[in-house]
Amino acid sequence: MSGIIAGYLPLFDLYLIHVGLAFSQYIVLRAGVFSLATAAFAGIGAYTAGIFAVNLGLHPAIGLLAGTLTGMGAAIFLSIPLARLRGVYQAIATVAFIQICLSLNVYSESLTGGAMGLNNIPKTVGTGTLFVFAALATYMIWAIERGRLGRAFNAIRQDEAVAASLGISITRHQMLAFAISGALAGLFGGLEAYHAYALDPNQFGFHLLITILSYVILGGRNTVLGPLVGCAILIILPELARPLAENRMVIYGVMLIVVINYVPKGIVDTALDAIRARRLKMREETVS
Amino acid sequence: MLAQQLLNGLVVSGVYALFSLGFTLVFGIQRILNLAHGAIFMTGAMVAFYTVKGGGPLWLGFILAILASGALSVLVEIVCFRRLRKTGDEEFGGIISSIGAGLVITTIAQQVSSTQVLRFPFETFPVVIFKFWGLRVSMLQLFMAGAAIILVLILGYYVYRTAFGRRIRAVTDNEHAAMLMGINPNFVYSQTYFLAGALAGAAGVLVGLAFNSITFLMGEPYLMFAFAIIILGGLGSIPGALLASLVFGMVQTLTIAYLPSGLTDTIIFASLFLILLVRPHGILGKEDAGNLRGRR
Amino acid sequence: MSTLKLTNLSKRFGGVVASEDVNIEVPAGKVIGLIGPNGAGKTTIVNMITGLLPVTSGTIHVGNADITHAPAHEICRAGLARTFQNIRLLGEATVLENVMIGFHRHETSSTFAALLGLPEAGRETATLKERAFSLLGEFDLQAFADYPASGLSYGHQRKVEMARAMASEPDFVLLDEPIAGMNDVESNALAEIFMGLASSGKGVLLIEHNVRFVAKLCSYIYVLDGGKLISEGTSDHVLNDPEVISAYLGDAHHA
Repeated sequence: MSGIIAGYLPLFDLYLIHVGLAFSQYIVLRAGVFSLATAAFAGIGAYTAGIFAVNLGLHPAIGLLAGTLTGMGAAIFLSIPLARLRGVYQAIATVAFIQICLSLNVYSESLTGGAMGLNNIPKTVGTGTLFVFAALATYMIWAIERGRLGRAFNAIRQDEAVAASLGISITRHQMLAFAISGALAGLFGGLEAYHAYALDPNQFGFHLLITILSYVILGGRNTVLGPLVGCAILIILPELARPLAENRMVIYGVMLIVVINYVPKGIVDTALDAIRARRLKMREETVS
Repeated sequence: MLAQQLLNGLVVSGVYALFSLGFTLVFGIQRILNLAHGAIFMTGAMVAFYTVKGGGPLWLGFILAILASGALSVLVEIVCFRRLRKTGDEEFGGIISSIGAGLVITTIAQQVSSTQVLRFPFETFPVVIFKFWGLRVSMLQLFMAGAAIILVLILGYYVYRTAFGRRIRAVTDNEHAAMLMGINPNFVYSQTYFLAGALAGAAGVLVGLAFNSITFLMGEPYLMFAFAIIILGGLGSIPGALLASLVFGMVQTLTIAYLPSGLTDTIIFASLFLILLVRPHGILGKEDAGNLRGRR
Repeated sequence: MSTLKLTNLSKRFGGVVASEDVNIEVPAGKVIGLIGPNGAGKTTIVNMITGLLPVTSGTIHVGNADITHAPAHEICRAGLARTFQNIRLLGEATVLENVMIGFHRHETSSTFAALLGLPEAGRETATLKERAFSLLGEFDLQAFADYPASGLSYGHQRKVEMARAMASEPDFVLLDEPIAGMNDVESNALAEIFMGLASSGKGVLLIEHNVRFVAKLCSYIYVLDGGKLISEGTSDHVLNDPEVISAYLGDAHHA
């Protein structure tokens, strides 16, 4: 029994890290920003944490804090120019940002290890730590959702003119969403660094972007449950059968096409809508 | 050798033009950013390779590549975008859906090629070097430049001189009005996607020949460069994309030649970023890209 | 008493004059009308007041606050709320949530508390829910509180939008063609709500196409044509002004 659990532990660790990154992607989409920069922020956090441990020999807690702060700083920095753009232009600009980070990373060989990656990072983070941080992130997203920030984000996403007419500052809220996104990505990037022994620059490129985006699209973009469920499905699915694992990226691809065309709100949001509609209908029937 | 570099840059520009014209054409007509375009480009190179490997002549591979890429592009439109257009969620949804399509196509290609780098057999394209005025030009380079110019001219003729082009532009301006005029927008879209895919496929073959290296991931950098090109040219603008390809091909060749290697991409994408900020609608575009509502 | 005051307000697009030296005063407690035929420049005025269009020259004041160049979201904080010509509700949200967002201006819990889910943030959400629900009561909408806003009838959606604007507790309300597309019963019900707003001390600027409706409701009317005010005064005065009549001649069926 314990052997089975131990066998699935790496998968669970991956889930915990990716949930954090999924929330980073989720929170910007929720605030109506089409940013895909989570992969870059994660890379910045991971490398900062890694360099703190390898080159400076600092305590992991300091490294994680530094990773979180640099991720957040990069996000705030990026949010200023991005406030001028909308829609696909934001998407393109953030993809360009990922490319800039990737190529700078490869270029700064003396600091980051370049294309060879950053190796020999002491492993100081285990499942327990990951679980605590994933739980904290989930709690924070849940808290945001039911407070005034969630309400403001919802209004901005659905109609910027209405939001502004009600006194909601779009620039300020989107910058805040960015800051949260960057901090989460930086933190979980740092956790990844301390969990994996080594970092590779291409780990934080287009592939990660797609993976993270898939979790959020599949699960849903409006409730805290969405990324949790989306991430679980996409991580477990390839493990169920070997052919599924070999074609992991085909599954992701087909899933993206099918979900965005037929269940555009994601499965959790769609299910919740259906439950709500049913409840209203039942209430009507009991009244009449 | 600045002149030699400029010449090389010119040839590269032609390939970029073929790739980004289709990309920008599709955006212009539907406001969809088709991120599967890189995979379609790669498909062109693969089809040509397997035709030659199967004993066919290169010209046949080239034609089959163009047809297959065009058809694949139409398929992507039908499967990924047609339904989204009805729900009006094509801007966000189109990106997601086409990322999905790109994943499916590249993964299939990865399995077909067993993750190998494919190379055309030696002398698939005769290696002949011309020398004049101290410059070296290979026959392949001449062929690439020639093919690019001819295909771009064909596209220009179609879009600006034929009834098909008028229909494309009518649908771009106003889909509903075009429908009332008896134009079937879906048919126009399919034709546009075919053209876009065919051009990308041709570019794929040329790139495959030039570097003699074909992999399932070869489309990714070109897709990234095409972002820079079509933003520079103004999303949806054909002359803009053409001009931007020229600028981009030159600048890239020169930075590779004269600047520390590894910084090229940083410079390219940093300038893309700056262009987005300063002039989001590009050098020739006229779109209101910022779409800033109100003075915020 | 504070007023919403437009002074010599002008807007030019390149060489084209969209509005020129417009002076309008909306005192608290009054319903003031702004009418004009199609293309008279009403929308330009609305967009300038609400911060969606930059002002070329002139000023806009709410009480003592100069909002001429304030960004859109600060105008609400100065005490001006609006409704939209084509109703704009948050379609994914419920009726109750739509009204709750209207309270944004009065939310006091800190960003920090909202991030960490501190009790103060939770209490605020609970309080807003109650206040939004009781506000819905004033508009007879409580039964719809949990329904998605996009599923409601046109008339009900208009009332939800009104309730949302009221939630910000504005001193002035700008109503952009609020009865467009409504039948007489519905528009009469809204007329009563508008009068109620004025009697509770709010200043109301009613921008309308329907002259009859405005004449019935407003104590003072401004008439816009070609970007300029061509007449102002009581409804009797304005409706008998030959210039107004000629401006509306092509539009006579509305009068």
